[in-house]
Amino acid sequence: MNERTLLIAENIDKRFGITHAVNNVSLTVDAGEIRGLIGENGSGKSTFVQMLCGIYTIGGGKFTLDGQPLHARNQVQANNAGVSIIVQEMGTLSGLTVAENIFLGHEEPFIHMGIKNSRAMNKEAQRLLDGYGFGRIKASAMIDRYNFEDRKLVEIVKATYMKPKILVIDETTTALSQNGRMELYKIMDAVRADGRSVIFICHDLAEVLEHTDTVTILRDGELIDTVRSADVTEDDLKRLMVGREIGSAYYRTDYGTPVSDEVVLKADNVSVPGEISGISFELHRGEILGFGGLSECGMHEVGKAIFGASWDRSGSVTLADGTAIDSIQAAISHSVAYASKDRDNESIILNESIRNNIVLPSLEELANHKLLNGPKLTRFADQNAKNMQTKMQSVKQLVSDLSGGNKQKVVLARWLGKNSDILVLDSPTRGIDVKVKQAIYALMQDLKQQGKSIIMISEEIPELLGMSDRILVMKNGQISGEFLRSPQLSEEDLILKMV
Amino acid sequence: MKKANSSEREQSKFRQFLSGDTFKALLPVIGLAVIIAVFSILTEGKMFTPKKLRLLVSQLYYPAIVATGVFFVMTLGSIDFTEGSTLGVASIVISVLSFYSIPLAIAGGILTGAAIGALNGFVHVRFKLPSFIVTICTMYLFRGVCAYLTTETAVPASAAIKALDQDWIKITVTCAVLAIAFFLFQFTRIGNDVKAIGSGETAARFSGVRTNLVKFFTFVSAGALTGLAAFVNVIKVGSITSTAGNQLETQILISLVLGGLPITGGAKVRFTNIIVGTLMYAILNNGLVMLGYDSATQQLIKGIVFLLFVALTIDRKALKVIK
Repeated sequence: MNERTLLIAENIDKRFGITHAVNNVSLTVDAGEIRGLIGENGSGKSTFVQMLCGIYTIGGGKFTLDGQPLHARNQVQANNAGVSIIVQEMGTLSGLTVAENIFLGHEEPFIHMGIKNSRAMNKEAQRLLDGYGFGRIKASAMIDRYNFEDRKLVEIVKATYMKPKILVIDETTTALSQNGRMELYKIMDAVRADGRSVIFICHDLAEVLEHTDTVTILRDGELIDTVRSADVTEDDLKRLMVGREIGSAYYRTDYGTPVSDEVVLKADNVSVPGEISGISFELHRGEILGFGGLSECGMHEVGKAIFGASWDRSGSVTLADGTAIDSIQAAISHSVAYASKDRDNESIILNESIRNNIVLPSLEELANHKLLNGPKLTRFADQNAKNMQTKMQSVKQLVSDLSGGNKQKVVLARWLGKNSDILVLDSPTRGIDVKVKQAIYALMQDLKQQGKSIIMISEEIPELLGMSDRILVMKNGQISGEFLRSPQLSEEDLILKMV
Repeated sequence: MKKANSSEREQSKFRQFLSGDTFKALLPVIGLAVIIAVFSILTEGKMFTPKKLRLLVSQLYYPAIVATGVFFVMTLGSIDFTEGSTLGVASIVISVLSFYSIPLAIAGGILTGAAIGALNGFVHVRFKLPSFIVTICTMYLFRGVCAYLTTETAVPASAAIKALDQDWIKITVTCAVLAIAFFLFQFTRIGNDVKAIGSGETAARFSGVRTNLVKFFTFVSAGALTGLAAFVNVIKVGSITSTAGNQLETQILISLVLGGLPITGGAKVRFTNIIVGTLMYAILNNGLVMLGYDSATQQLIKGIVFLLFVALTIDRKALKVIK
């Protein structure tokens, strides 16, 4: 292996108001190294790499790349210096073609005397796409034609075609299916083979250990340690991240516990045009029913359909007593709760206080003859937020100030406060760190004990295997397989039905 | 060393205060105090003599009523540009009906306003068009109706309705509107629902808020309140010309923003925005007139003050959600 040092970070520091996001972090990355960067939500991983990539200004300290000081003021400058990033959320711009997205900020080679040569640009972009094996994506087409995953692939091309010395991958894999992940790993390996480096941020520790050479752990903005991936286990990493021992009870350990025969919710021939067709199933009392599949298989729409939130749904969703769930209001008032995959847009109102987010579905019960009592609402919100151990200053705080894990706690707090009997949880642990994940799994088991029923929609196969009493696998908008909880059940069994 | 640290901390605390929400929330009140102080000095106190104060108060009634309705619309994160033309059309309806029966005239005015609001709300909600486009179109539409009805001659109101031009009536109506609106906003779920929609409509829908229904009725009530304000306008002016309510929409918009209402609506609106804003606008307006500025200079100054306030009070994090 090449032992040349490629990147040196010295005393990097960043504050946001009172929050010390990155605290005096120094590290080096060798050429030809894949470096994992892990830590809980809010530990400063993203802030650190975003300073490297010119998205945030550097608060203090300096970066040196290949012997040259690096102080990028924006992403284009960082690109030119040899650093590029693939971000967690959507990083492509709607309304532009695939080629225009790939060359965004780097159009000069195609511009002669002020006129852009689109044909040359499309041709070059197509050549790149073909070279990556993404030939099915057409360079001249509008980016909007492609789904989230393909757009992510375009972003990968955009970030890597110029052969950056450092490629930063910020939590990208959670958005990708197995196939997309494979493509990404291939590219990471190619970068390493080329004597360049990757900084890989990811919450999935198994994935980190499998695909990195070394791992740096951050906690509360401080660098805790850098270890060789081959020398440590997942549990070691968890301990370093959290700063204490995490119990081994992560998923459920029970097998063969019978589930009640009592049906609490029945979906009959539910279809949503272009999304799902002919979905029928029964949910039992005290059951955790998993839904798995590739991200476009329609399982996320199933969650919305059950909650009465789909446009243009046909078929029926009924409760045990025959009540039809046809609207969000019907769902909420009959004890059906829903936490969306798109947490920031659909589950919580970002620019509202924690208090108002928690009380919103419960206003009918909290009102006295239609009148609301402010202090009573605050007490209700405070109690439920505290039950979920939400990290906050007070319930008056805006939800947008919270980290992903704490936002999810607010979502769960509102439905626990509502005392819902049926919970539809779509990707409940998406982008959430181990500690909160563990809390959510524990909570799900608690709820199951209390006889509540949970539909868990998830793209994480280990989570489905670990938590569900029964798993329905979906493909192309239909249910393609059903599995009962068993220690023998493997990831391959599920994947076989997904693709 | 310790001392340096603490003074540094104090400084950063101050900076935080300046950029923080507390400051933004206090800004309208500070602004009001500044405006009062500035005009007291410039007019050498003449502005706040009892006679001038009465004039000032008389200018508050119908803007306050209209602003109350628009307050709810803007809390949704929407906007309504039709108040001016609604006031014009409703004033004409009231004047015509005032020859038959006063209660009928009032009801007619409110219903006319509500009908225009219903049209706005229906188009906005049903066809998912941004409210500012819908209401700019309907603003022109009803401004046209208003001009058409007054082409020949101004529309006169009956003597009976003009006899109602008494302060106690106008004060009672205005205070009743403010009190009822405050109650609904603060102590029923209406306030929670409109704020939730303003902060994040999709999430509000997923939390059980009947977003379309709430939006529709918010526009209806804004229209109805403008219709009621038209009654106060009619008893004051007596006859309606084509310019009735001209530019009222911008006046209301400026008032509410001066009062500290974030233009994006949502969680940070306060009911006091209506009162502080209406008051500030009236003082600004009166003060500029008393100082003898011509209307062009007045507009210029108002524009600058408005811009300054939007820049200081806007919630940039929420900008994405303007509808």
